[in-house]
Amino acid sequence: MPAIAWMAVFFLIPLYVVLCVAFGKVDPVFRSAIPVWNPLEWSFTQLAIVVDRLVGPDNFYLPPVLRTIAYVVIAVAACLLIAFPVAWFTARHAGSHKALVLTLLVAPFWISYMMRMLAWVNLLQNDGWVNKIISLNGLLPTEQAWLSGRPTTVILGLIYGYVPYMILPLFAALDRISPSLLEAARDLGAGGFDVFRRVILPMSIPGVAAGMLLVCLPMMGDYFTNDLLSGSPGTSMIGNLINNSITTPGQSGQAAALLLIVLVVLSAPMIWYTRSTARSEVRS
Amino acid sequence: MSDEQQPIRPVSRRRLLQASALAIPTAGVLAACARGSGGGSGGASESASATTLQIASPTNPVKWPIAADNQPIASGLEPEQGATLQIYNYADYLNPEVVKAFEKKYEKYGVKVAVSTFNDYSEALAKIRTGTTPFDVYFPSYDAIGKLVTASLIRPLQHSYITNIGNVFPSFQNPWYDLEWQYTVPYVLYTTGIGWRADKISEDVGARPNPYDIFWDPKYREKIAVLDDYREVIGMSLLRNGGTDVNTGDEAQLNAARDAMLLMNQTTKPKVTITGYTDIPEGRTDLSLVWSGDMIAAVQYLPEGTKADILRYWFPPSGKGLVNNDLIVALKGGNNPVLSHLFINFMLDTEIATQNMTFVGYQPPQVSLTPEALVAAGLIPENLKSAVVLPSYFDVGYRQLELSPELEAKYQAIWQQFKAGG
Repeated sequence: MPAIAWMAVFFLIPLYVVLCVAFGKVDPVFRSAIPVWNPLEWSFTQLAIVVDRLVGPDNFYLPPVLRTIAYVVIAVAACLLIAFPVAWFTARHAGSHKALVLTLLVAPFWISYMMRMLAWVNLLQNDGWVNKIISLNGLLPTEQAWLSGRPTTVILGLIYGYVPYMILPLFAALDRISPSLLEAARDLGAGGFDVFRRVILPMSIPGVAAGMLLVCLPMMGDYFTNDLLSGSPGTSMIGNLINNSITTPGQSGQAAALLLIVLVVLSAPMIWYTRSTARSEVRS
Repeated sequence: MSDEQQPIRPVSRRRLLQASALAIPTAGVLAACARGSGGGSGGASESASATTLQIASPTNPVKWPIAADNQPIASGLEPEQGATLQIYNYADYLNPEVVKAFEKKYEKYGVKVAVSTFNDYSEALAKIRTGTTPFDVYFPSYDAIGKLVTASLIRPLQHSYITNIGNVFPSFQNPWYDLEWQYTVPYVLYTTGIGWRADKISEDVGARPNPYDIFWDPKYREKIAVLDDYREVIGMSLLRNGGTDVNTGDEAQLNAARDAMLLMNQTTKPKVTITGYTDIPEGRTDLSLVWSGDMIAAVQYLPEGTKADILRYWFPPSGKGLVNNDLIVALKGGNNPVLSHLFINFMLDTEIATQNMTFVGYQPPQVSLTPEALVAAGLIPENLKSAVVLPSYFDVGYRQLELSPELEAKYQAIWQQFKAGG
């Protein structure tokens, strides 16, 4: 019952407001959104505009969508590659320092996301430390304009910003694997790689799935990383489209419609995840 | 960047309830506003749609109506005691020293000033309309004045408090966007041009046949920026294409400007930002579409040991470029109308206006601050003389007028397509 109340207050009511804005009207003078509370009076013109911009002849929403998918796929994969060894080390080899190592891994999260990104702006600017180091303080002509709208910088920002969300569930999953199982596998003649492939990997799948979802979902809606580390339309993501629409008079409805489309698309992996964990719990 | 943001005074419970009651049914509020201004001719529920926006322009000067329920305050009132004057402004657009000086001047009334900031006018207008914070003083551009008056968001000024009006250019004492300055006083002047660092860009940008072309020159790919302002970039693109009307509704011209902007994305990948005043001096951007005041403010942001003589600004010497001015208004939702008037008058004081310029870089329309005086006083370095706004620019320059809502939607669609980076 409390769960239902919670859902109603923090999810269903806000979602309904978004629907009322998406299918609502626009004030003719100020061009601000006028939500229409009665579903019978909803109009779908805003949604039609968004769909048209996604798949119609003038589909200028499509490049940012494809870009977002590409950035997120690369960033999630990189997060996984970074987080797996870190989580494994923490779970297996940190011994009595486990709590300390975990705390240190999460420590950057005590600083706000914006501050961490601004720190990168300082590090990456033309005369920043990154350029000083790779050019050996100006000896080599390898100075890079990192902040001039480069996809790599945005992807690196995403990886840095979200990698701890990947480490924590992976750690939880790997920590749960009993050492005796690994010993048993070795006793039965499995080599190092076989142990990983046939024991550790299958047993860490729930952690991998949870971690990927945890980092993928916020990345799909991220606009801040791009705003701070690039600022160029050439790296605009879906989050930027939504943010730009919200801040533009007359386009709040389109922002809401775009948000609904993203929500529907992203709920597919979410449902898959909750169903698969429910099933595996039943099995165990 | 801006650390001048001060905490907003806690709102009383009653005020909060009032405000949220206002904020939720937006349509109702607007309908009420439209009725209040006498603009609505339709039924109560449809009055918002029946309100048409009057558009002021140099050829169509407007004297705005003053509603019966929104009369100027009486003359000679005492300032509010122990009040906090709520100022709503762009970041870095008001000298904190000036704010302190105002507090000091009215110390015996216990005046405090709180400055809140916004990023752009759309955001500001939306927040003012919700009425959640009782902002007293606001700094709009004249292209929002129709909306502000129509919705009865601003207060007509009681001229008896504003004795310093005589200090400003005569043309601003009876401007076309607000005849008889019933609601507004001018704040600062600016042109939109090209700013760069001469040590990074070796060419003389102004020597090009069409200097705006530099934003399409692949030589400067990843090194340049444009303003994060839809009117400025669309306006610049229209001018670059040879147009002379930066408020055009002509389909062909707008499409050509849009195509040019998309091409710019492809060829030079500009950043879109309003922080040119720090990005250029600090070396993050070599060249940018900027406001003239940005380049003057940029002097303060140069790294230590870098001389101001590397900064450059180009604006058409003929004056045929984008020229604008911002305004100061008193908001109707504010709790301190007398202090608002006193603050507005304070900002028109020549000494205060000059002191303000040393921080914000933007030039106040003070008669005594001629270009020669500005350079002589060291307010503008010799190499940035082109950033001085001359009164004659307002005769020949192009002004961005308020657009009809339909045309505004078109401009915004172009901007959105540009920012999507297709």
